[in-house]
Amino acid sequence: MLPPTPSLPQPPACRTHRLSSWRQLAAATLVCVSLGSTAAWAQADEYAEVNRLVRAGQLNEALVKTDQYLASKPRDPQMRFMKGVIQTESGKSADAIITFTKLTEDFPELPEPYNNLAVLYASQSQFDKARAALEMAIRTNPSYATAHENLGDVYAKLASQAYSKALQLDTNNTGVPPKLSLIRNVFATTSGSKAPPLAVTEVKPVVPSAAPPTTPVAAAKPAVIAAAPVTATPSAPAVAANGQSEVQSAVSAWAKAWSNRNMEAYLGAYAPAFVPTGGQNRRAWEADRKARIVPRSRIGVEVNDLSVQVNGDRATARFLQAYTSDTLNVSSRKTLELVKSGGRWLIVRESTGS
Amino acid sequence: MARSWSLRRGHASASFPTPGAASQRPAWLTVLLGLTTVAVVTLSSWWIHQRADDTEPASGHSAAESPSLITSALASMRPSVTPESAALRVGLEHQPLSDAALARTSPLLGQAEARLIGIYRLIQQSKPREALREAEALALDHPNFQLAQLVLGDLLNLQTRPVKQFGDVADTQALAAAKQLQELREQSRRRLAALTERPPEGAVPSQFLALSSSSRHAIAIDATRSRLYLFENAAARSSDAQGRVSAAQMKLIADYYISVGQAGIDKRSEGDLRTPLGIYYITSSLDPEKLPDLYGSGALPINYPNGLDALRGNTGSGIWLHGSPSEQFARAPQASEGCVVLSNPDLENLLALVSVRTTPVIIATELQWVRPEALNAEREGFQTTLAHWRTLKSAGDLAKLQQLYSPRFENQGQTLAEWWPRVEDEVKAKGDRAMQVKDLSVLRWLDQDDTLVVTFGEVAEGVRRGVTKRQYWMREDNQWKIIFEGAV
Repeated sequence: MLPPTPSLPQPPACRTHRLSSWRQLAAATLVCVSLGSTAAWAQADEYAEVNRLVRAGQLNEALVKTDQYLASKPRDPQMRFMKGVIQTESGKSADAIITFTKLTEDFPELPEPYNNLAVLYASQSQFDKARAALEMAIRTNPSYATAHENLGDVYAKLASQAYSKALQLDTNNTGVPPKLSLIRNVFATTSGSKAPPLAVTEVKPVVPSAAPPTTPVAAAKPAVIAAAPVTATPSAPAVAANGQSEVQSAVSAWAKAWSNRNMEAYLGAYAPAFVPTGGQNRRAWEADRKARIVPRSRIGVEVNDLSVQVNGDRATARFLQAYTSDTLNVSSRKTLELVKSGGRWLIVRESTGS
Repeated sequence: MARSWSLRRGHASASFPTPGAASQRPAWLTVLLGLTTVAVVTLSSWWIHQRADDTEPASGHSAAESPSLITSALASMRPSVTPESAALRVGLEHQPLSDAALARTSPLLGQAEARLIGIYRLIQQSKPREALREAEALALDHPNFQLAQLVLGDLLNLQTRPVKQFGDVADTQALAAAKQLQELREQSRRRLAALTERPPEGAVPSQFLALSSSSRHAIAIDATRSRLYLFENAAARSSDAQGRVSAAQMKLIADYYISVGQAGIDKRSEGDLRTPLGIYYITSSLDPEKLPDLYGSGALPINYPNGLDALRGNTGSGIWLHGSPSEQFARAPQASEGCVVLSNPDLENLLALVSVRTTPVIIATELQWVRPEALNAEREGFQTTLAHWRTLKSAGDLAKLQQLYSPRFENQGQTLAEWWPRVEDEVKAKGDRAMQVKDLSVLRWLDQDDTLVVTFGEVAEGVRRGVTKRQYWMREDNQWKIIFEGAV
């Protein structure tokens, strides 16, 4: 559905974009900006300025800026969203809850405000409310992965509470509330910035097919994913982020195939040119992997602290691999070297250790 | 800087696994079976093999895989006694956990238990979302129903991860409360067993040779199954002049989960934390306002130690049927100091129905269910003996009458010689009038001895009021002899 965004001034060329999610809204804004509307440029400047203030840690100033902007465009969903995020980051939870709640009322199609409401409720240990908000987010956008993930955390917490009641353990002391992922879509953090109070999730712009082709300026300059800024300027980083998000997807799919013991998908994640370490040939290595993976009743492979460097059609993914199975729990540093071939990123080298 | 990035977070790729999405259906089923294997379905493996119209192939598959905790529990519960009257015994019927069976059984259960079983049924039918909704409602209504909370925890986890076992708590929780966890699983197992092993329609526990119409209700407890059965006595007020009565006509109107003593059953001595086995009567109803919270919504003391207990030197006192404390909707199968503990709503139902002095409470290791006609021969045989006793007492033949009393006779420490003057006085007071026996109940307790607990109204002819007598007759050298006698 097309969200009602009457106050969002858009050049006529952009009106045909169907904005099914906030992300796309942001992306569409980028696209529109790239089309060179003066009004949009001005608007983008306002967002960029708020963005800059936040990155500089000047949250109060950023808030003043959003209020100034909203005084003239009170319905603007993006600025209101930014305001809610700033309020959250400033610890003004009650204000942030009001901001996001109003956003859900005015723009019930957007999943992100529901998600962030859930983050706030969860931080207050109001898990039932958090759950309701996340279910709304998912109803709005059924493939909204962050909301699913957050909902998983909330379910786990609710389950833990139910178990504590079942076992008559002290329910007042069940640990800290889970930290859910806050969507800060218009903000980017640099890897050098201070740790944010909440787990930060960058949302990569999904550039609609209508986007004009951009030149791969950034290709020669590896960009670290955490630093990938999503700004109002549709320049190289967005493209680099694209390559990075593809590599992330590939790593994610590899970890998932391994977790699911889907040998076909798992082995398929490795390029024909893959060289096993230790001098094994490919066939022996595959047999070894099958022998290690198939008999397990449960395997979980989690990828943490992922950093991806893309250099043309080659990429390096470094991460902390948390492996759990029915027999083993182990965390280790892992590096995967990947090559893009036929539109897919395939693993050519896998090494453990830093 | 310790910044964590999980691939699963904030990633908007379309290929991302989304829990609950249609593509996850097969995984969901696997997950579901993880719970049902342990919790529910194995119970019904026999029924799946037997029924052609089984509609849960998925469940059937899991049931066939491996014997679960419940299966083995059931195996150990099946009657293993080889009875001398096997032909008369009908035993419990295996009843599948089907909708039709539940519709029949649920009205008998406590409401909370019926809802819990309904949730199990939904899990079995692969309806985890509906099950979750019901579990949340149940936990909301009864936050102190720990078993419901455990099931709720599993169903919540089931939304996002496989549940490996019933009560799939975190390791830390399992360590911190290993006993509670084990007890909850046991409670669940017993509740399920009671639901799938049903007394056949019209069957009665073998103790009820005859039940007077003055006993409007009767209670029978199967300690092994943690189950209390409540009967309504449908017997018409009919006995002939001899006091002869027909078979007990009892209708099962409720059955509830109960807890017994921490150390189990077969109480022998004060403080042994065991629940007595035998035939008892409710002696009073205690005001819940004056009871500590531990006893919940009320208490019904029973007459432990009874005449047989006294003869055997069993000691202790204060055995009650009572409710549950506010923090626990239901207690572990073995939890009390010897009392029989019910959930408060169930106890309240008992309070509304049973009556002091006339409601029998049979507490057995394991109840034997029989057709009422199966007890005819025993009852009629005894009624001949009782008629003989009545005739001798009516005629004032004290010498012959005394032969019906056992040398082991005892009443509150009095031997037969010490007691006999009372019998003589009764005969004297009655004069020439014949003795009538009214409202006869005969309850049989079979352990190392064969004992009848006989209750009746003893009224002299032409006299308006008599006394209610209770006698314990024990089979000695194939003759019934009175080992205890007293007014109730």
